[in-house]
Amino acid sequence: MKNKQSYTILAVDDNLLNLKLIEKSLSKEGYKVFLADNGPAAREIAIKEMPDLILLDIEMPGENGFDVITKLKDNSQTNVIPVIFLTGVSKVDSKLKGFDLGAVDYITKPFHPLEVLARVRIHLKLSIATNSLIAEQTNKLKQITQAQVSMLPRPEDHPDALFGVYYKALEEAGGDFYDILNISDKITGYFVADFSGHDIKTSYMTAYVKALLAQNCTPVYSPAESMKLINNVLVEILSDGKYLTACYIHINRITKKMTIVSAGHPPVVCLPLDGEPYLIKTPGDVLGTFKDAHFGTQSIDVSPGDKVFIYSDGLVESAQNKITWASGADSLLSACKQIEQIPYDKAPAELVNRLFAKGTLPEDDIVVLCVKV
Amino acid sequence: MDFKNLASRLGLDEDDVIELVELFVTTALSDIDKIKKGVKKNNSQDVAAASHSIKGAAGNLGFDKLYTFAKDMEMQAKKGSLTDFELYISDLENRVNALNKF
Repeated sequence: MKNKQSYTILAVDDNLLNLKLIEKSLSKEGYKVFLADNGPAAREIAIKEMPDLILLDIEMPGENGFDVITKLKDNSQTNVIPVIFLTGVSKVDSKLKGFDLGAVDYITKPFHPLEVLARVRIHLKLSIATNSLIAEQTNKLKQITQAQVSMLPRPEDHPDALFGVYYKALEEAGGDFYDILNISDKITGYFVADFSGHDIKTSYMTAYVKALLAQNCTPVYSPAESMKLINNVLVEILSDGKYLTACYIHINRITKKMTIVSAGHPPVVCLPLDGEPYLIKTPGDVLGTFKDAHFGTQSIDVSPGDKVFIYSDGLVESAQNKITWASGADSLLSACKQIEQIPYDKAPAELVNRLFAKGTLPEDDIVVLCVKV
Repeated sequence: MDFKNLASRLGLDEDDVIELVELFVTTALSDIDKIKKGVKKNNSQDVAAASHSIKGAAGNLGFDKLYTFAKDMEMQAKKGSLTDFELYISDLENRVNALNKF
């Protein structure tokens, strides 16, 4: 609810005397009252003035109260405004229909001004309480979003890692996560993960995983060993049913070797400087479920200028179109080929633009990393 | 009419009530005019709508007898019967004009 001194009420009735009676009763108690004697005028005032509550007569010529409330609830601007409808005492069907259409209460006609006042007061109180609860929850979720985003490294803070990123969470608490690990001067680790679920617990888990990566992705351990160590901890701390798919890429720019460790994650795309893009499929178990998990590992030679795309399944999967990442990943090859001239830092956003250009919307969180060797 | 008592019942000031009663008389007389025209044209829908309007306003102001009277007229008109409405109209007009005298 807006921060203002007086609350505004819109009264809608084709009977002028009823409107005046409501106006006099409410305005003397400090409410600002708008009046409308027909449906279209009421909707216009509702959009313009955004009243805190609407008193709506059902029986009106032309657009009746049911038509008005239906249109108010269909409009994203006005659908949050509580509506109390005014109806004849014996009309049970009318009352039920009003509730079905989204009204919060009704007042039977003929009404008493003091009853109107009492009901307006109680519904404003309820509305204030509900709105403050929503505001509080939104604020908490925003803090979580900010905390999550602050954990995601920015390309400008890691210029030697030569990567570009696209990150978009569908909800406040995103399920996708990535990290960059500066293992040594010329050795960098790139980690992309997708947690099962998008809840608040998930957002806390990203902090655990980030800490585990920092502890275990060191020159002492091979990439596969690092993932096994992290898995062993996650198996202990993740609650039942929670897991994550992940892809860890370890690039040694001295030996020009790239090692890929996949934990049930979609295949990476390799786009050689001179050549056709190809998928590197490394099947393996997910992280956080089995103590003796097996992760698919591959090492390949790379050349300076080659690009590698690591991404979450939201980029290629569609539940609506029944496309799994296993089949959706193949469609990436042509899209990656089309953007081979795009610089690595802009490539992730360009790739997303091309894949979702035809008016389709992402169904899941998306993270895309493009790494230049 | 005891405006003070009515004001107290409605939770309003006496001045507000006087203004509302004046408004009621004006709108009710206009509605009676509509009823007369409706009866002349044998248009029961118009008669029902105007009776409904008087009924609603009278009920909210606590004019119980007028409310019941207008309600009977509305119900009869909704059934499509406008028989003896001249008597109804005359009675209704007298009741409304009685309010005007105060």
